[in-house]
Amino acid sequence: MRDIWDSFVQFFTSLRVTVVLLALSIVLIFVATLDQVNLGIWAVQEKYFQTFFVFWNVKGFPVPVFPGGYFIGGLLLINLIASHIYHFRFAWKKSGILLTHAGLIILLVGELLTGLWQEDYQLRLDEGQTRNYSESYRENELAIIDATDPDWDQVVAIPEKHLRDHRDPIQHERLPFRVAVRAYYPNAAVEARQESATSPAPANRDIGARLTIIPLAMTYKPNERNLPAAVIELLGPGNASLGTWVISTMLVQPQTFDYAGRTWRLALRFERAYKPYSLTLLKFSHDRYIGTEIPKNFSSDVRLQSDDGTTDREVRIYMNNPLRYDGMTFYQAGFDNNDTTTVLQVVKNPSWILPYIACIMMGVGLTIQFCMHLFAFVAKRRRTA
Amino acid sequence: MPSRHALILVATTALLAFSGCREAKITSYRVPKEAPPPAAVNAASLDPHSDPHAGLGIPPVNSGSMPVASGPVDMASTPVPTATGDALVWTAPEHWQSRPASPMRKATLIIPGDAEGQQAELAITAFPGDVGGNLANVNRWRQQLQLAPIGASELRATLTHVHAGDLHIDIAELLGPAPTDGTLRQRVLGAIVPFNGATWFFKLTGPDALVAREKNAFYAFVQTIRPAR
Repeated sequence: MRDIWDSFVQFFTSLRVTVVLLALSIVLIFVATLDQVNLGIWAVQEKYFQTFFVFWNVKGFPVPVFPGGYFIGGLLLINLIASHIYHFRFAWKKSGILLTHAGLIILLVGELLTGLWQEDYQLRLDEGQTRNYSESYRENELAIIDATDPDWDQVVAIPEKHLRDHRDPIQHERLPFRVAVRAYYPNAAVEARQESATSPAPANRDIGARLTIIPLAMTYKPNERNLPAAVIELLGPGNASLGTWVISTMLVQPQTFDYAGRTWRLALRFERAYKPYSLTLLKFSHDRYIGTEIPKNFSSDVRLQSDDGTTDREVRIYMNNPLRYDGMTFYQAGFDNNDTTTVLQVVKNPSWILPYIACIMMGVGLTIQFCMHLFAFVAKRRRTA
Repeated sequence: MPSRHALILVATTALLAFSGCREAKITSYRVPKEAPPPAAVNAASLDPHSDPHAGLGIPPVNSGSMPVASGPVDMASTPVPTATGDALVWTAPEHWQSRPASPMRKATLIIPGDAEGQQAELAITAFPGDVGGNLANVNRWRQQLQLAPIGASELRATLTHVHAGDLHIDIAELLGPAPTDGTLRQRVLGAIVPFNGATWFFKLTGPDALVAREKNAFYAFVQTIRPAR
């Protein structure tokens, strides 16, 4: 047992492992950079870096072909920490190297935490409109809404992943029925069925009876998004079918039906993140240089109101001057509808400070190390002179 | 040194534990009711004689928003990934009647039949990539006609390969099963045209006799397809 432990420690503290991992990371970054042309930035991050292995699809089965960013970064982190634990001998002479390595550890941990915790949403507001939620760029959800109450909606939000990995019907304590996914399309267009179509409609309730689903290849371009669609069946007690519905992010309006004396709404929509506060767009400004169409400034005047009444103020958000509130940062990101709609990017990254700390530590550490060598060299020259 | 062992173990376990903690969960919450959207569009009036997409609430492609260069593309105008880029043009026979284009279609043409209300429809669409390949596309059409899917070995016999200039075109002709409910048997003539990284579909659907009558016209029409200058 002791031998196994020793060889385990020897492996993780080995400099050879460090070199191999650095070489692997160079290859990973090189290949991922080339593949960015095909996949775009988000898909590359997910495929190569925010994963333990890079997979290739061989006849429908994912086969791991190369260690991913989490694997290499994780081992590098363990390697670095283990080396310090086992070979750590504090000496002022080495303080620069220690500080640099500590900075590197924080950088690696920071990247891991960013990958795990960062949330990136957007908030679209027309002038005069108030919203208390932002929407995801890439993630979608099936919202099943109990809309019976005249003032409140009770929402059950099922992430798209559950539709994709459907095996058993989805059950939730707030739903009097179960949701069975009969077909799922990661990217699809829906259009009206041709009058002459003889094939059965994909669903028998609401708009689904008059639609055709056209599966499309997935897109990875940064300025396009996949529009998933699915056919779902709702199952009552004893697996009695309540009908089948087509849901798609292309369908703007929720589909309504009554069941068990309550009114329900179904919608596949961009994933929402509700906040305990709301923003109202008072005015969007798009200033141009006089006599030209060249943009000079974009800004959004918004009113921020918290639900508990402690905050009620007006804020101007413009380029490089975001609103920071409740751990979120709201950046001016876009506009629409002839300058009457603003698009704010909403980012939450609790570990945003770590890369700054890491870089300062590494900078100071390298400076100390360099200065020590410089002073020793100068002193040595003086002695020989 | 057991404390060092423990530290390494903790570091490894913590790393692995962190990596698995982002799981998409089903959530439930209560929110104030939103103001109703401007128009009830989904379920209501779907007049098949008008724009085939009217009433679906399908956002128009490239609906004219202009996100700033450094920011993310705004959501409402994110293009539906129909094929953009270079276009194809064609010359249709005179008796084929053109209908307005729609967001999902490049063009729609109607061919009137002899009987009252009888007609065939040519839908022209284009999507990026190969949309699953010829087999998947032919099987999608077969499914629409309630025909069983075919395998790769039968695909070659199903497709007729023609050339129109530099374009390589595969044409499939499919005859639906004889209906028992008194409706007309359906026939499909579909041309698949790969062009500049996209795939264009020219699909003529209608009653068997009418589409069979228009078969020569369809083949002649396919020969007129060419890249727009």
